[in-house]
Amino acid sequence: MTAIYNFNIFRGINDLIEWASQQLVIYIDIFKYLLPAVPKTILITVSSFVLALALGLIFGLLRISYRKPVRTLAGIYIDAIRGVPLLVQIFFIYFGLGAVLNLERFTAGVLAIGICYSAYLAEIFRAGIEAIDHGQYEAAYSLGMTRLQTLRHVIIPQSIRIVIPPIANQFIAALKDSSLVSIIGLRELTRAGREYYSQNFTDFQTWLLVGVIYLIMTIGASRVVKWLERYFAVKGFGTLKA
Amino acid sequence: MIIQIKNLYRRFGKTQAVDDVSLDVEQGEVVVIIGPSGSGKSTFLRCLNALEDIDSGEIIIEGHRIDRSHKDIHRVRLEVGMVFQNFNLFPHLNVIENVKLAQKVVRKRSDDVAHRRALELLEQVGLGDKTLAYPAELSGGQKQRVAIVRALAMDPKIMLFDEVTSALDPEMIGEVLDVMKYLAQKGMTMLVVTHKLSFARDVADRVIFMENGRIVEQGSPAQIFDNPAIARTRQFLTSALGDQ
Repeated sequence: MTAIYNFNIFRGINDLIEWASQQLVIYIDIFKYLLPAVPKTILITVSSFVLALALGLIFGLLRISYRKPVRTLAGIYIDAIRGVPLLVQIFFIYFGLGAVLNLERFTAGVLAIGICYSAYLAEIFRAGIEAIDHGQYEAAYSLGMTRLQTLRHVIIPQSIRIVIPPIANQFIAALKDSSLVSIIGLRELTRAGREYYSQNFTDFQTWLLVGVIYLIMTIGASRVVKWLERYFAVKGFGTLKA
Repeated sequence: MIIQIKNLYRRFGKTQAVDDVSLDVEQGEVVVIIGPSGSGKSTFLRCLNALEDIDSGEIIIEGHRIDRSHKDIHRVRLEVGMVFQNFNLFPHLNVIENVKLAQKVVRKRSDDVAHRRALELLEQVGLGDKTLAYPAELSGGQKQRVAIVRALAMDPKIMLFDEVTSALDPEMIGEVLDVMKYLAQKGMTMLVVTHKLSFARDVADRVIFMENGRIVEQGSPAQIFDNPAIARTRQFLTSALGDQ
């Protein structure tokens, strides 16, 4: 009895080692396949986010314009973009506009994510600007600065500190949402995952690894944000201890 | 006349904050405005560099007009410096950058010229060793002296002081008032809203008592403090001096 029992354990461990090494080979194979697509995901995310930052700042400033029609138009842009699913925007820009304007997949994908996120960023910028005490404007105006000079030299530098955490959240969300452009055939990380599993039928391992790679990238982005927050921190400002 | 104000009106909802105020101020004059809180003195002062809209009337400063259109306000603000109750220093800039910013952006001075001007003024008010400190690292009195220097660095012809000692601890009021006295002696045209009646008595050329948006009484400090003509002025001074 004892011998048989030992033999079974021995068989069990042996099987386990064999299974694990097979799995390792599969994961390495998947990883080798996915890795070249990672730079593309990063490129799509960073390009569309730079676009989103620029458009977001512009629309955020238009949102607080003195002129009511300008404010209203910016509000309509923001509400319209925020009210439509990103996936629908991707389809619209690639299949709709793309057909007319002859857009490439990459351009269409970056445009769609960039425009979509600009609406969220516009609201973040607006909130960050409005959070600054009105006395700051009065001081700057009384020194003869124009509204634009005041925004540029006094208000926005102080807003940056406030908007970094929510903007970082949006960046991480954009990194994850970049997977949506896989649907128009842009070969980024998610697309690469789909290609691999459709050839090898290793669903579990493929999607687990795709998820882990996204996770590593988002954790890395959070670390960069922590560093940025420290960089923009002002001496003696907000260091109050409770 | 460096400042001419004719029939100035400013209303907030139902309250008439500034109610038909006319006033001429001469070059080098120190005018101190006193009155109970809510009497419209701060609002009146803020009209003088167009931080407050005016409903009607006009203000002419050095030939530049402030009226409802706000057309000339940029040039007016170049002539008028202002110091606020809450300092309003730029918290993201250190002391010397606070003083340099508008010199560079508005007066288009080079970094070097702006730096020297800032340093010279900071040393005059005893802050030559604080140039690299950030506002949050300064005491209230030091902040207010930086705020005064920041306004002076633009070489204004007129300085407005809006209750600049009201947010300060008592032991810091003196250092700020000393700077203001020094400016007055040097011939700066000043309009000062304050609760420090002793400052009004010592430094003012003219004291104005305001209530409900109107100028109730004005005259030399001796006239106003020792021999007010109007009963309401007397009543205010009795209670205000009793507090000090």
